[in-house]
Amino acid sequence: MNLEALINYIHSTPLTWLIATLAAFKLGIIIYEKCNKHTLLQPIIIAYVILLSLIIFTNTSFEEYFKSVEIIHFFLGPATVALALPLYKNLKYIKSLFLPIVLTLFIAGVFSIVIAVSLLWIFGAELPTILSMTTKSITAPIAIITSQQIGAIPSLAVGFVLITGIIGALFGTIVFKLVNIKHDTSKGFALGLVSHGIGTARAIEISEKAAAFGALAMGLSGIFTAIFLPMIITFFK
Amino acid sequence: MLKGIIVLLLFQFLGECIAKFFSLLVPGPVIGMILLLVFLLIRKSSFYSLDNAVALHLRYLPLLFIPAAMGIITQIDIITREFWAIAIALFIGTLIALVFAAKFMDYLTIKAEKK
Repeated sequence: MNLEALINYIHSTPLTWLIATLAAFKLGIIIYEKCNKHTLLQPIIIAYVILLSLIIFTNTSFEEYFKSVEIIHFFLGPATVALALPLYKNLKYIKSLFLPIVLTLFIAGVFSIVIAVSLLWIFGAELPTILSMTTKSITAPIAIITSQQIGAIPSLAVGFVLITGIIGALFGTIVFKLVNIKHDTSKGFALGLVSHGIGTARAIEISEKAAAFGALAMGLSGIFTAIFLPMIITFFK
Repeated sequence: MLKGIIVLLLFQFLGECIAKFFSLLVPGPVIGMILLLVFLLIRKSSFYSLDNAVALHLRYLPLLFIPAAMGIITQIDIITREFWAIAIALFIGTLIALVFAAKFMDYLTIKAEKK
């Protein structure tokens, strides 16, 4: 028996962290479903906590971890392309409210970035944080690739994306009631525009129409942010 | 499903090639997404194999950001230093943006309906 060879293998094979990552996410799904799909218990949040603890506990560096699970990261590319299909399916709704949709997409989309960036700036945050905040309202796969493009910190960007999604999903319906929003389409669109996928998942509970508008907002804002944000940031640099 | 997977990879590849060739700042996969959208609009429908490939990629979408998300352990410094700025920007910023977006869209919708 060769214990040393075994330990070496466990340390060096990408399988170890691949299995841990998939298992942590699966465990996240199980806990999420057991707890009636509570927004705070998103599978990825549970996986986050488990894997962070494991990485810290085993004294693994992020580079080592990332190298092992790079194959998962690779699929962000085709997954981003895949987002075209849900957008295509919901694009038909754009005709029903063309002008409100287009105006809200651009004006509220820009406003959402400006307000977050201004707040950071007022409270003295530094440039990398500010850049990483600019993608907070778009769906995570597009946020990751766009944040790499603009020289932000992708891991911070994903964190901001997730928290923005959760805040929107937790407080969206309460806030809409407080300010008396009349149309489900407005609620859904706002949730998708500001809180991307997690917000859209919440919009399903409002109505099917709200969810469709959420998906529409999420797809469109993802595309337009990825197109314009890098240009604007390069212009200012 | 293989055909669908090839379509997704091919569109990503095309997107990346276009981004490189024209030195575009738009990320390649997003160009691929736009191209696939245009392709679907022209074709006027999706097909079974693509539906399956898309479902495969989107079903466990959050899993795909775990590798990038874990980089957070290298950013503990920034987070502890700027914790309050980040917390305020995320919490207040998101709520204000939600109110603004919903109210603005509601106002425009009501206006459009009156016409």
